[in-house]
Amino acid sequence: MQDKPNISAEDSPKTTFVLSKNGRPLLIEPDLDFIRMLGKHTPGIYKKCMQCGTCSATCELSPDPEPFPRKEMAWASWGMKDLLLGDPDVWLCHQCNDCSAKCPRDVKPGDVMAGIRQAGVIRWSFPSFLGKWASEPQSVIFLLAIPTLLLILALYLKDPIANVLGIIEPTGERIIYPYSSMFPHWLLISFFMFFSILASASGIIGAIRFWKAMKTTFPRKNPASAKSLFSSIIVTLKKIIFHDDFSKCTESAPRLWSHMLVLFGFAGLSLVTFWIITIRINPFIQGDFIYPFSFWSPWKILANLGGAAVLAGILLMIMDRYKGKESAHTGKYFDWLLLGTILIVVITGYITEVLHYVRLDPHRHLAYFTHLVFVLGLILYLPYSKLAHIFYRTTALIYDEYTGRNVEISTVVNANLTVNSDGEDSPRQEEETASEQGNATTQNGS
Amino acid sequence: MNANAKPLLVIGGGIGGMTAAVDAAEIGYKVILVEKEAYLGGRVMRMHRYFPKMCPPTCGFEINTRRIKQNPRITVHTMATVEEITDEAGDLRAKIRIRPKYVTDMHLIADSMTEKLTTERVNDFNYGMDKTKALYMPHDMAYPPGYVLDREALSETDAEKLNEICPPGAIDLEMTEKRIAVDIGAVIIATGWRPYDATKLDYLGFGQCQNVITNVMMERLAAMGGPTAGEIVRPSDGKKAENIAFVQCAGSRDENHLPYCSAVCCMGSLKQVRYIREKNENAKITVFYIDVRTIGREEKFYYDLLEDENVSFIKGKVAKISEEPGSENLVLDVEDTITRENLHKGFDMVVLATGMVPNTPDFKIPFELKYDDYGFTDGVTNFDGVYTVGCAKRPCDVSRTTKDSTAATLKAIQCLNRGE
Repeated sequence: MQDKPNISAEDSPKTTFVLSKNGRPLLIEPDLDFIRMLGKHTPGIYKKCMQCGTCSATCELSPDPEPFPRKEMAWASWGMKDLLLGDPDVWLCHQCNDCSAKCPRDVKPGDVMAGIRQAGVIRWSFPSFLGKWASEPQSVIFLLAIPTLLLILALYLKDPIANVLGIIEPTGERIIYPYSSMFPHWLLISFFMFFSILASASGIIGAIRFWKAMKTTFPRKNPASAKSLFSSIIVTLKKIIFHDDFSKCTESAPRLWSHMLVLFGFAGLSLVTFWIITIRINPFIQGDFIYPFSFWSPWKILANLGGAAVLAGILLMIMDRYKGKESAHTGKYFDWLLLGTILIVVITGYITEVLHYVRLDPHRHLAYFTHLVFVLGLILYLPYSKLAHIFYRTTALIYDEYTGRNVEISTVVNANLTVNSDGEDSPRQEEETASEQGNATTQNGS
Repeated sequence: MNANAKPLLVIGGGIGGMTAAVDAAEIGYKVILVEKEAYLGGRVMRMHRYFPKMCPPTCGFEINTRRIKQNPRITVHTMATVEEITDEAGDLRAKIRIRPKYVTDMHLIADSMTEKLTTERVNDFNYGMDKTKALYMPHDMAYPPGYVLDREALSETDAEKLNEICPPGAIDLEMTEKRIAVDIGAVIIATGWRPYDATKLDYLGFGQCQNVITNVMMERLAAMGGPTAGEIVRPSDGKKAENIAFVQCAGSRDENHLPYCSAVCCMGSLKQVRYIREKNENAKITVFYIDVRTIGREEKFYYDLLEDENVSFIKGKVAKISEEPGSENLVLDVEDTITRENLHKGFDMVVLATGMVPNTPDFKIPFELKYDDYGFTDGVTNFDGVYTVGCAKRPCDVSRTTKDSTAATLKAIQCLNRGE
């Protein structure tokens, strides 16, 4: 497995499978690049999978009808990329690794699922070259350069723009030590707001693409348990906030706490940010606004607590990966990129704060600039990094509720299933499992 | 043949060792058969029936013991282990340790006498499912015949009682272990196997749920000489088991336990399905499997069972066994990989088809021998004349073991004759 190709965003040779009238595949042309790419995600050879079903039966999140990840492991072995990338189940997995710990072949289905998700992010994200960059180590320099250059450009243009628009930074007695001397407040807000909207729009485009793919690939709908789109969204949001799924994991229980800390930490930080953004129109702070806040301001306290929560959560996550527990994922670049970015964001944030309190010039500006570069990176790459799970997992969870997946057994094989991510319909069908077994043998033997 | 040939040392008195001993001795070679238990027959003696013919192992055993009894060239040492094998320029010498039996075999002991004893011991012959008195007969057909005394289990009061209840001189508590040294010409290793420790399979509930038993325990439950005199009942309440699950590959084909296939468990379970069907016509049986590995003509054995409507086969490895809340009934979590459904099925009793592990790791033969990662050995060592048979080599069934033994015996005889 020396010369495994990199994950390619372009459409690699199409997975095709011709089906006979009874729905059994006559011919499957596996996507070999996809198989090799997934191979990089697991320490062993995942094609050793013998389809025993331990993973599906062990998984606490897997629904009873058509459980995962056993079927995904079969499709992965066959390189059925289109089927996997449009599979909502791949995102229902929270990678608690109960399956990997129990797997009798040690093929780590949890890692394979993570690999499929990464391929999904690349495939559905827009523009997808950014998704590709976010997944390969050699492109890290580009990832770093984009936010850095954008910020330098913003700093370079801040005075001309301010002159043109006639913006004057408010000064006054209350502002005791202006933070905005480097990065004026108006610029900060508009600049970051612009890119946040851009990233969110891109993420939503990806989510819509994914939704369409799920609809064509897995159009099953169980009328008995299907919910309306609105209530699906509500149920999903509740699930996310209360970490219902995480709390079912047994193998890596700390994941529940680390994810909660990071999520709620960021929620706190976002709240503070939005509070400040609304400075000009916020009746509660207008008048006696002192920027930056004093250390004992309730908002500053909330921000510091939020930062601390994120830091604690991220350290827990890193520890979880370093524990060397065989079941825990081996730590992939995609994974580490996000962990590292968040860690740098939090640390530079605190350094900036401390340097600011001790009035240390110009170091604080350097720290502040670094902090902003990484914050911008986090925002810019929201739809391309591992953080894209915010869009894709949420979408899959909503789809899950919307189609009534969780409740009743629906083993009915859909006769006219069409699978094509590019929108061209080609007659395809979900294969029957009986032939799945037979083919798995021949595939593994080849 | 070489009239002065040195004896052949056979380590292990199970079916493999007995076959080798009889084969060599009947050609005319001297054989020293060493068995660590008090009786010959090994694991096979604890089986209810053989597959695929469904005949009891006792008849073959009876023939073999008679051949051993009648053959003056075979010396049997039970309760004995080989302590050391030394090689001095091609002259092999073995040191054998014989543990004391404390029974002189000079006088007859009867069950009516042992009943007066109060101390009991866990009956390992029945895999701990019942108890015997401290002075006990290993099993009904034990050879060498006679009682054995479990000195460690015996209480002091019972020790004093022994001289009163048994004929004088029948018991000798002063008996000590013996060490003998013998010159040998070749070695056959037939140390066999033991079932994989099912308590290591915590997710399958063995040891936590009373009604989860192993396949070897099922053999004893079905056997007339077993703890239930052949009644297949639940350990928790002694009720007839009506709805039974077989869990295949319990530990085998699993990187976390035994990475290899134990080769006999599929046929073993199918055989046990027949025990249950013969004894209870209403019993419902479900076999959970990854693949049913019945090879060659054994395939028919499986196909015949497929036609039995009380027996169902579900393709899927059981991931978890737990007790239903408030009862001793069991729930199995498994994915039916054919219908693609996670099942949570309830049963009265579950039989784990535990795999085979070689006895070698805790019964190391004291000379340099090459073992594989799991303790199996091909008998490769730095001197000639060592051959392995049966489950010491790899997991296998009885028929393959006996063929192994006959083949190894021929090789060993060539070695015994070399000095001529």
